[in-house]
Amino acid sequence: MTTLHSTTRGPPESDGPDGHGSPGRLFWPAVALGWAVTAVGVWGMISDAARTQPGESARFVLGAAAVHDLLLAPVVVLVGWALARAVPARARGPVQAAVMVSAVVALFSLPFVRGYGRGPTNPSLLPRNYGAGLAVIVAVVWVTAALAITLRWWKARARPQP
Amino acid sequence: MRTPPGEPVPASESVRRAPLRPPVTSESFASPLHDRRAAAWLGLSLGIAFTTCFATGLLSHVIQHPPGWFSWPSRPAGLYRITQGLHVATGIAAIPLLLTKLWVVYPSFWTWPPVRSATHAVDRISLVPLVGGSLFMLFSGVANIAHWYPWHFSFPVTHFWVAWITIGGLVTHIGAKLPVTADVLRRRGRGAGVEAGSGGRSESAAAGDGLSRRGLLGAAFAASGVLTLVTLGQTVRRLDRLGLLAPRRPRTGPQGLPVNKTAIGARVIAAANDPAFRLVVGGQVRRRLSLSVDDLRALPQHEATLPISCVEGWSSTATWRGVRVRDLLEMAGARAGATVRVESLQKRGGYRASTLNEQHAADVDTLLALDLFDQPLHIDHGFPVRLIGPNRPGVMQTKWVTRLVVR
Repeated sequence: MTTLHSTTRGPPESDGPDGHGSPGRLFWPAVALGWAVTAVGVWGMISDAARTQPGESARFVLGAAAVHDLLLAPVVVLVGWALARAVPARARGPVQAAVMVSAVVALFSLPFVRGYGRGPTNPSLLPRNYGAGLAVIVAVVWVTAALAITLRWWKARARPQP
Repeated sequence: MRTPPGEPVPASESVRRAPLRPPVTSESFASPLHDRRAAAWLGLSLGIAFTTCFATGLLSHVIQHPPGWFSWPSRPAGLYRITQGLHVATGIAAIPLLLTKLWVVYPSFWTWPPVRSATHAVDRISLVPLVGGSLFMLFSGVANIAHWYPWHFSFPVTHFWVAWITIGGLVTHIGAKLPVTADVLRRRGRGAGVEAGSGGRSESAAAGDGLSRRGLLGAAFAASGVLTLVTLGQTVRRLDRLGLLAPRRPRTGPQGLPVNKTAIGARVIAAANDPAFRLVVGGQVRRRLSLSVDDLRALPQHEATLPISCVEGWSSTATWRGVRVRDLLEMAGARAGATVRVESLQKRGGYRASTLNEQHAADVDTLLALDLFDQPLHIDHGFPVRLIGPNRPGVMQTKWVTRLVVR
């Protein structure tokens, strides 16, 4: 991981919860109110345990954070790291944006493309060919990126740098 | 190689370079886009989106489970269609914003040392309900509109309570980040001229190096826009052809209308087709009514053009014809201002009955419908007779109605 070269710059919020070292006047009142509201939610889960299945729900909530922080985010960081090195500078921005948009759309489309909820009795549910839809969207995104790259290249040629 | 932005290194940073440092810390992340201005803009947008989702979700909840002080009006007829369409659309649009925000602040996850002070510990621990809850809310919401249930808990109940857990985390987070967010937004307003000069330079310098901050935010909002555009067709019919990832099409289904609960799923096929079927009007009435389908058709018929607005965010307008509930109440000699419990042939399930409050029961467009688009109801739409009324969630438009209990 040392290949992720270090900068002298700190992360955005390294100085304290508000980025300035001091918590701000609102911090502790907000903590009190926020945790009270969260406690309402936890109480609601527990008081209706038959329907909320607190153990399973908690696994989903905490699992979602863990899967994001320990799996999804590292993969995204590594992909970003690879992109920053593999893609020529002039194309890099549009390619990064296109990867970002296509990845998010693909992630969202998963339950539709896979059709997990489809059943034989309700043809009005998930009536489309979502795989084809996803392909069209991704194609449009990448055509847009290609146009942006071409436009940059064109501008750079028309205005040669000193 | 990228030159690091010219911010001075805080003295404490170098002091903290202790021998025990793990291989990855927040300083391992090279991209200048892990930056507080991007975080502030995304945070502000997410704050607006989550507040919208919470408010519209809460509204949908109290409409379905009204507390004593709350009475949902029957007009305007399409209001719930808008509030619930907004709930689902906003949640979908928030997905790219949330993922981008989490990426921007991800270095902070690896902050070293992990906890610096009591304040910092409280700040970090409050992120657990916020981050876990946000991801859960968006994931479970998307799974629900796709009818995908890879769990055993009840979706609406759990989605509701986790919303409180998440919003609590959001309140704490806003309290912690308001100063830095306000600072970022204020600087933009104050030094617009200066910022444009220097900002413009760094933007173009960054451009050769990949996405600029503006580019990152642009891509995040573009992704939100794309997701909105390809799903909104489930409720805005003019966008149907663009709705490549919409879970519903407003004109696809029996009689050109989508179905949520099918007759097979509700196990009502035999009972709905039974010639002995009767609609009973009972409860606090002077004359108890028991009406066959022919009896219902012999009563004055009224037409209404009303949307079915599903809690899942799709909606579709149709023309319905049938008997006014208020006419039936009058025939049965119910008192003025009565409320009605509408019961289905369906034996089980949380949505087998719904309540018409005083205003809904009295509305001229609240019908027990027999026809849809000039044809007898398809069994999946509630044959022989269903409730349809203005400004109601789809789950409260009870199908296969067999009993009105007047109160």
